[in-house]
Amino acid sequence: MEKPEKLIVDGKRLDGRAPDELRPLKIQAGVLKRADGSAYVELGKNKVLAAVYGPREMHPRHHQQPDTAVLRCRYNMAPFSVEERKRPGPDRRSVEISKVAREALEPVVFLELYPRSAIDIFIEILQADAGTRTTGITAASVALADAGVPMRDLVSAVAVGKVDDTIVLDLTKEEDQWGTTDMPIALMPRKKLITLLQMDGHFTHEEFKRALALAFNGCEQIYEAQKRALREKYSVKPEEE
Amino acid sequence: MLHVQNRELVMPGQLLAEGGYIINEGAFREGGRVYASVVGLADIHGQKIRVIPLRGRYIPKHGDIVIGVVIDTHYSGWILDLNSPYVGNLFVSDLLRRKVDLVREDIGQYLGIGDVVVAKIKDVNELMRVQLEAGEPSMGRVAGGKLVEVVPTKVPRIIGRKGSMLNVLQSVGGCRLTVGQNGRVMIWGDDPRRVNAVIEALLMIEREAHTSGLTDRVRLMLEKVKSEGGE
Repeated sequence: MEKPEKLIVDGKRLDGRAPDELRPLKIQAGVLKRADGSAYVELGKNKVLAAVYGPREMHPRHHQQPDTAVLRCRYNMAPFSVEERKRPGPDRRSVEISKVAREALEPVVFLELYPRSAIDIFIEILQADAGTRTTGITAASVALADAGVPMRDLVSAVAVGKVDDTIVLDLTKEEDQWGTTDMPIALMPRKKLITLLQMDGHFTHEEFKRALALAFNGCEQIYEAQKRALREKYSVKPEEE
Repeated sequence: MLHVQNRELVMPGQLLAEGGYIINEGAFREGGRVYASVVGLADIHGQKIRVIPLRGRYIPKHGDIVIGVVIDTHYSGWILDLNSPYVGNLFVSDLLRRKVDLVREDIGQYLGIGDVVVAKIKDVNELMRVQLEAGEPSMGRVAGGKLVEVVPTKVPRIIGRKGSMLNVLQSVGGCRLTVGQNGRVMIWGDDPRRVNAVIEALLMIEREAHTSGLTDRVRLMLEKVKSEGGE
């Protein structure tokens, strides 16, 4: 695809959104039968599946921690998730994202309740359109709650960035590619604690503050959607027959 | 001050109450406030507050009756799978309730790999190492019967208030049941059709654990099978 002349026309973005608007969001909890907890999230063209197994016995045994559980996380992109086929398997990028996603989720989980055990999180990107790490973290946090793992809060994540000198929320692939800055943020919404913050590009001090405020706002919307998804799964269903 | 109603569905991180409430399970305290830590139903009894979890693994607790499967033997006992992140250890002396001379006696005659055992949790230490005992008459190796696994958090519903649900399953279902807190249920019965009906009932309880009037529906279902039995 060629770089469009302008990414923002009359205050509207290429897909018709306002700068502070999220892409259409859909969250479903408990989609996998064999996993202890799972979630499916669609954010615009992103499609992400997350599964949680555990707490379960840690293998290999020498990775066990005598006083706490260990959180393990794998972020993986399907070969068909991007336009040009991605070579399957972990690469430099997905190993890094696995690590930052784990660190974004670790502070909310009461790991000390399950010594010597492991909690495994699998984040599978089925279709990618920028912001897959944040979408993955959002999905993983719903999957953790669905697995019944005790948590201090959910984690909501979203990216903000700068496109055509405008601060925008939730970048698409085009905006990520041709824009100047991309900043993914993960948040524990209740206490407004940031658990992940990365930045590619530049912000001035003023821009950074505005971007952060925009991200907090976006996370709040995602947080509500996460809770709604869990409510939907667990609320009392109307009686059958 | 309470922020939720009794039996309300709560999410992790949701504010439940402020002040000196006693937390039972599924919640945590932060700066004088009580928050839920799991998805579940808030259960408030006076000053006691807890969240009844809807999902989750079984975590061994002192005094629980569990149903384990022998996965390994060692010099003086067996390792049991408890449908939990932690395995249980059962010594011969805790099974037979006597001193055993390991040089003279072969402990393989009492239990082997794959055997199903009803046991009680004798002790759990801070490293979550689990000690079992199976000396009481109702415990020990299980012979015959069917083993069913359900989600461990639904076990209280299978037992029911003061054992009401379990009574219905046993009397109307015509079977004998042993329920392990770890989500495993043993069923013994003479009529395979009625055993299967009880299994169906267990799965129904698991599916509809949060609905009211469930005991009556289970009774109805089992009575139907019972009356059809003669044909």
